[in-house]
Amino acid sequence: MTAVLEVKNTGIRFGGLVALEAVDVTVPEWEIVGLIGPNGAGKTTLFNCIMGAYTPNTGEIIYRDRDISLLPTHRRTALGIGRTFQNIGLVRGLTVIENFMVAQHSRIGYGSLSAILGSPRSFAEERRLRANAMEVLDFIGLPHLANSKLDGLPYGTLKLIEVGTVLATDPDLLLLDEPSSGMGPDEAHQFGERLLELRKTLNLTVLMIEHHVPLVVGVCDYVYVLNFGKLLTEGRPDAVRTHPEVIAAYLGGSVEDESGEAEPGSEETLDVTA
Amino acid sequence: MATATEAVTLPAGQAAADRWRPTTAGWVARIGVLLGIFAAVLWVTAAVKPFWADRIALAVIYAIIGLSLNIVLGYVGQVSLGHHGFVGIAAFVAAYYVTEKAGCTPEGGCNMGAFLTGMVLAAASGAIAAGLLGVVALRIKGLYLALITLAYGFVAETSIFEISFLTRGGSGMPAARPNTFDSDTQFAFLTFVFLALVLYLDWRLVRSKVGRAILSLKHSEPVAASYGINVTAFKVIAFIMSGLFAGIGGGLYAFRSESVVSNDFQFAIALLWVLMVVIGGLGNRTGVVIGSAFFALFPFLVESIPGAEHFFADTLGRSASYLPLVIGPALAILTLIQFPGGIAEQISPITRWIRGEKFSMHPEGHGGHGEGHGDKKHGGLMAKLGLHKNEEEATEASTEEIKQDTEPVLAAQPEEPQGSAGHDDPKENR
Repeated sequence: MTAVLEVKNTGIRFGGLVALEAVDVTVPEWEIVGLIGPNGAGKTTLFNCIMGAYTPNTGEIIYRDRDISLLPTHRRTALGIGRTFQNIGLVRGLTVIENFMVAQHSRIGYGSLSAILGSPRSFAEERRLRANAMEVLDFIGLPHLANSKLDGLPYGTLKLIEVGTVLATDPDLLLLDEPSSGMGPDEAHQFGERLLELRKTLNLTVLMIEHHVPLVVGVCDYVYVLNFGKLLTEGRPDAVRTHPEVIAAYLGGSVEDESGEAEPGSEETLDVTA
Repeated sequence: MATATEAVTLPAGQAAADRWRPTTAGWVARIGVLLGIFAAVLWVTAAVKPFWADRIALAVIYAIIGLSLNIVLGYVGQVSLGHHGFVGIAAFVAAYYVTEKAGCTPEGGCNMGAFLTGMVLAAASGAIAAGLLGVVALRIKGLYLALITLAYGFVAETSIFEISFLTRGGSGMPAARPNTFDSDTQFAFLTFVFLALVLYLDWRLVRSKVGRAILSLKHSEPVAASYGINVTAFKVIAFIMSGLFAGIGGGLYAFRSESVVSNDFQFAIALLWVLMVVIGGLGNRTGVVIGSAFFALFPFLVESIPGAEHFFADTLGRSASYLPLVIGPALAILTLIQFPGGIAEQISPITRWIRGEKFSMHPEGHGGHGEGHGDKKHGGLMAKLGLHKNEEEATEASTEEIKQDTEPVLAAQPEEPQGSAGHDDPKENR
């Protein structure tokens, strides 16, 4: 089994704050790998390093045997890495279907100049984009929302739309940042089943930050636990769940209170459902 | 399906895809109204005295400049206080080319080829000047970028506009009009051609991947990048397009006044341009054109009131051309507090009707999808973000909209069958 993504010895510091230190994560083909850890552990920071929003100080990011550490984010997207955000990564000013059209950006078959001049090809491509977007909307079961604004849609629906737009970027590797936040237990369960189904139909590999333990145990093949920017442990979900250090990290047992450390670039809501 | 319960409970295709569409007669009426407006504007231009045609040409040039600023203000979401720099540079480049290089003289006029070359050079110089600012804007945003643009404008004012071989000092650089468009009325029609060109480019910009990319950047750069958008490239493209339009406006400005003097391009005018775009409606093409034309014509209209010129000149000691900078800020405050969508928001019932929706006084008849969500953003947000031109905007016909429908002819007729995806059956209006 080959690895789709290898994070090797990655470390990043913001001023004096060590956000990540020597983190190694491997995501093998077709697996769903979980990334858990208390707030401020550096999970989203790791995602930002993988996507290129941050440049790590040490280490490298290998995607399908290619070092992508220096590529800008949009190139990584074009290579097939899709990413969702903790606080919904959608473009508020656009309608739902336009979001799906933006998401196909790296696969649009006309240049910016021919777009502005209005070449016949750009018109044809626009129709194709719209049809593709409608297809994805049908797939996730929301065709009736195509022309809605995002404002006012329920949170869970927005989350689903976000996952849909990321699918529209045509990813091989999906990075999900707390996909089940804001969902109830039933919805999270349904989401998990949906994810397994997606993996089957679209041949996806997934790296997922998740707090919802039943979901992690239910769908993940392997789990990494981060704490204070370092890997605490890794293993099969069941083994990790009962690992004493993990329990300590989440419940604050032997480790001192982690609230002093804020994760840069994100506002994580504390919702540890362990 | 997680969370999207409405998707599960609704029969496929019902709630969504069937949109209200006007009948053939409805379309004829809409196209008729639109053509009527165009015809009226052109007729007025042809019918009025030449000096009024000249003022209309100024209004058109302002509209082009407004559309240029609209890209930076409305689409990118940044403030440019240095647009007089781009417009001025372009005006001088056009004038310099036709006078010094192409040999046009005020007496002999100019041939069309020289004029068009001058316009291309003006557009290119505007694009380059703004492209440079775009590179700066990659690193700086908001207030600081506004300050940089302000400095940019002042630098242009005190350096480039003072170069004597370009500006001929205080006397100004002549810019003879092309022979075929020499009269004020002819020239006004020529500016309309350029306005049409700019409107077309702006339309394609917004309705293609370029505009979607730029609007995404405004919302969130990390999200845009994760959609595969090259953040750097599209920001610079936005500024280049803005500079291109500003350049076209500047070139026309030169030929309109037939002699470019640096006094024409000062900070006050850049401020006025920002105000007219905000009042017109950020991100909305129609609104911006109307707002710009209003500010260009307003002082002349006031002056044409009997006795007003005397009042301004003698009693106040100020010409009416100062008026826009007095009422502009007042209107801007009113706009920002009360009507964030500007003029575009006020006329949106008309513009949306022309685009093929039901006539409705609801400023925001959109986005409803039947499910309970209380707080919709109050009107104008959409206008601000420049999405009015999206024909595919949902026309969720809520019951009160139907009640308010003031187009009985159009509403009474049955829907046209049409090939929209998932269209099953006409909507039941109780």
